[in-house]
Amino acid sequence: MSGTEEASPVGTADRPRRVRVRPTGDDRVFRAVARGTGVLVLVLTAGIGAFLAIRSSDAFAAYGWDFFTETQWNPEVNRLGIAAVLPGTIVVALIAIAVSFPLAITTALYISEYAPPRVKSALVSVLDLMAAVPSVVYGLWGFYFLQDEIIYLARWLHQAFGFLPFLSVGTDPDAANWAESRYTSSAFIAGVVVAMMVLPITASIMREVFSQAPVGEREAALALGSTRWGMIRSVVLPFGRGGIVGGTMLGLGRALGETIAVAMIISPAFDLDFRILENGAITVSSLIALRFGESSALQLSALLAAGLVLYVFTLVVNTLAAIVVSRSRSGSATDL
Amino acid sequence: MSVNRKWVSTVWSVRFPAARRAVALGAAASVVATVALASPAAAQPYEPIRGSGSTWSANALGTWIGDVSANGIRVNYEAVGSTRGRTMYAQRQTVFGVSEIPFQQGADDRGVIDDSGGRAFGYMPIVAGGTAFMYNVKVGGQPYRGLRLSTETVVKIFTGAITNWNDPQITRDNNGFALPARPIIPVVRSDGSGTTAQFTTFMDKRYPDLWRPFFGRSGLTSYYPNPGNKFIAQNGSDAVAGYVSANYGDGAIGYVEYSYAKNKRDWPVAKILNEAGYYTLPTDYNVAVALTKARIETQNHDPKVYLTQILDGVYTDRDPRTYPLSSYSYMIVPAQDDQQAPPDPPMTREQGRTLSAFAFYFLCEGQQKAGALGYSPLPLNLVQAGFDQVKRIPGHEERFLDPSRCNNPTFDPANPSRNVLAERAPNPPDCDATGKGPCREGGQAGPAGNNGGGGGGGGNGNRNNGNGANAPGANNPGTGGTSPGANGNTVPGAGGAVDPETGLPVGSSSDGAASGAAYGTATELAAFREDSSTSLFGGIAALELLVLLVLPALVARAIRRRRQS
Repeated sequence: MSGTEEASPVGTADRPRRVRVRPTGDDRVFRAVARGTGVLVLVLTAGIGAFLAIRSSDAFAAYGWDFFTETQWNPEVNRLGIAAVLPGTIVVALIAIAVSFPLAITTALYISEYAPPRVKSALVSVLDLMAAVPSVVYGLWGFYFLQDEIIYLARWLHQAFGFLPFLSVGTDPDAANWAESRYTSSAFIAGVVVAMMVLPITASIMREVFSQAPVGEREAALALGSTRWGMIRSVVLPFGRGGIVGGTMLGLGRALGETIAVAMIISPAFDLDFRILENGAITVSSLIALRFGESSALQLSALLAAGLVLYVFTLVVNTLAAIVVSRSRSGSATDL
Repeated sequence: MSVNRKWVSTVWSVRFPAARRAVALGAAASVVATVALASPAAAQPYEPIRGSGSTWSANALGTWIGDVSANGIRVNYEAVGSTRGRTMYAQRQTVFGVSEIPFQQGADDRGVIDDSGGRAFGYMPIVAGGTAFMYNVKVGGQPYRGLRLSTETVVKIFTGAITNWNDPQITRDNNGFALPARPIIPVVRSDGSGTTAQFTTFMDKRYPDLWRPFFGRSGLTSYYPNPGNKFIAQNGSDAVAGYVSANYGDGAIGYVEYSYAKNKRDWPVAKILNEAGYYTLPTDYNVAVALTKARIETQNHDPKVYLTQILDGVYTDRDPRTYPLSSYSYMIVPAQDDQQAPPDPPMTREQGRTLSAFAFYFLCEGQQKAGALGYSPLPLNLVQAGFDQVKRIPGHEERFLDPSRCNNPTFDPANPSRNVLAERAPNPPDCDATGKGPCREGGQAGPAGNNGGGGGGGGNGNRNNGNGANAPGANNPGTGGTSPGANGNTVPGAGGAVDPETGLPVGSSSDGAASGAAYGTATELAAFREDSSTSLFGGIAALELLVLLVLPALVARAIRRRRQS
């Protein structure tokens, strides 16, 4: 900006030439289409929100504030609430992020900074392939393969860190004939499966941003004698902070909404005990998937109300993330 | 059989000219040609149809759909559970639905509106079967086969009254053979399910004192009540069967149609005690015997009740061959009285024709396969009633099938009211009676193999489990143990029992080691006490989780700040 002022040749007598833009017909059509698409996205998002709000008003009217404090989802006795469902959703999403974040950031760094060119393109396409696998496949993988294996890790976590309440399970991990089934169908396993689904999105956004780190600054860091890791720490990571946050938040959004893979793994339990290794968990979207078959208007409304709460929550999280991203240098490079 | 063969051969004679003509039309027409080839009558191919519902009968439907696809009848069936099957039919998303229970007509188990939404419908029985209890109990590292349970024990397990496999009542059911001390993990359905509805109907009718306090209400439910994390709830029969048969499923028991157990490499299912005092499996024979006592509504032609089943007589049948949890599965078909009227849109008459062709196949030919799949074929009177229902589907094919020529194993062409399968059903062996046995199954550790390996009985704490020390029915109780508490499971009177198949004394400790592999049973010490989760610990756990996720970031930031300053 300041450069152009200095470059103006003489004083203030000269005025910049008025540029008259007369859009051609093609331009107008293009702009209208582009603007229309942009507006359409907003209209769709707002429309979904409005639909959820309208359809859930019955449930809010019927249950009032109890809807937010009731842990049970028990239509038999007409007690419906999301006090266990919403925290359950957040726990599964946080586990997914906790597992996928280190994997994603190291994957992205390796691809953008270390990998030889041939390996690089192969890795990128493998990552894209991971994103293209349907979520039901991840669910099947989690149910028929991962669950069988990961219960040993869950048991080890319980043995080593069982003194932490959230890593304890209501059984004896050291028993000779230990209760494998108590470690299955848990928020932890669901979270790990969701992490695998979140990983490609998160990693590819991070990789994109890392590769845009300015070459001049990279070379400057190297010229000052830093190692490659030193250059990554002083240039790539600070530059890419927006992408790291943005990618993670996009992943969090997907993790919060993941439905079928979670529904296939968890065993629904509406207790607020936050024991992530123990069987029994619930998320908003899996609850909707399992229960929308019933046709009672009020229960459907309650399910949509749960969906609305999740929608608002995701919106808040993404807005916060957008603020963080917009304050970073690489903000413009992310899709948030 | 013969009827269909003839039909297929006419199909082939029609196919080839159609194909030749299509080839002559050139490359552009080749797509048409493949369609014509795949269809039975080139002049009028079958329009694909879509249905959804029960997972209980999904294995039979899947086989039938595969069979008819060779004839160009394309049926797309989604096994999403009976409740959603009924809803999707009412919402006109499918041409047919499959459900174990009828529309609840405004009185659904949750006070939910459950009817056909004004769409014309009729019920048609498609196959019989038994709701089996798949279980996974490892004895000596091997899945134990031959478990026997009384219906009361089953209900107590699924209402949380019996929680351990070494419960005295289970030991009594197995005639003194004690299973290892292992918590029972009942595996139930998490989605709306007809299997759940059938099972809870049974519990409500036969054991209301156990079921109603657990459920909090009376009656049946399609959604199993959620009792927290002592139970496991899975989405669909496939997932229930998958969970029970998985490596981690040790201690689990779940309810599915028998075919799911057969599909899992003949996974063991519990023999269930009937009123005659015999423990039986849900074989096609035993189910056929049981369902001779089912009361089918045939007088009242109101579609809401016509052909529906009342199973009270099945539950209490005193035939020794009966499997008490037998039932029929139903297809909800768009039957209507006025054949000239158009069907409820978006269904078309062409789709009605496809459905009728499919139904003619599975009501007749398809029934032969039922037994091998783990179901039981329909008797003649229900096949006849099914044909009559098919003839009420708009657009149905006019076929004059003689049901008695269907080669169905239940039929006697001479006497339509006989059920040959039920008459031919073998009597259960004596070792399956109460107070006898249990029967030994090939190569498995019978009760005689239970007593090896248990060197010391000293490890008994509060959980009274004497398996490690002495065999049930040992002639000299207490010799293996070091303390009087070690022989808690010894059943008096069983000591002199003789196995009817092998002629060997049951549970005699001297030949126990010789007759089978020696198994030791791990004994659980009472040092670990399971604490109940309180909201306080829940809060602490939530806080910890938060701290774990936030603290590293804060620490990293603090370090960075200190470095910068």
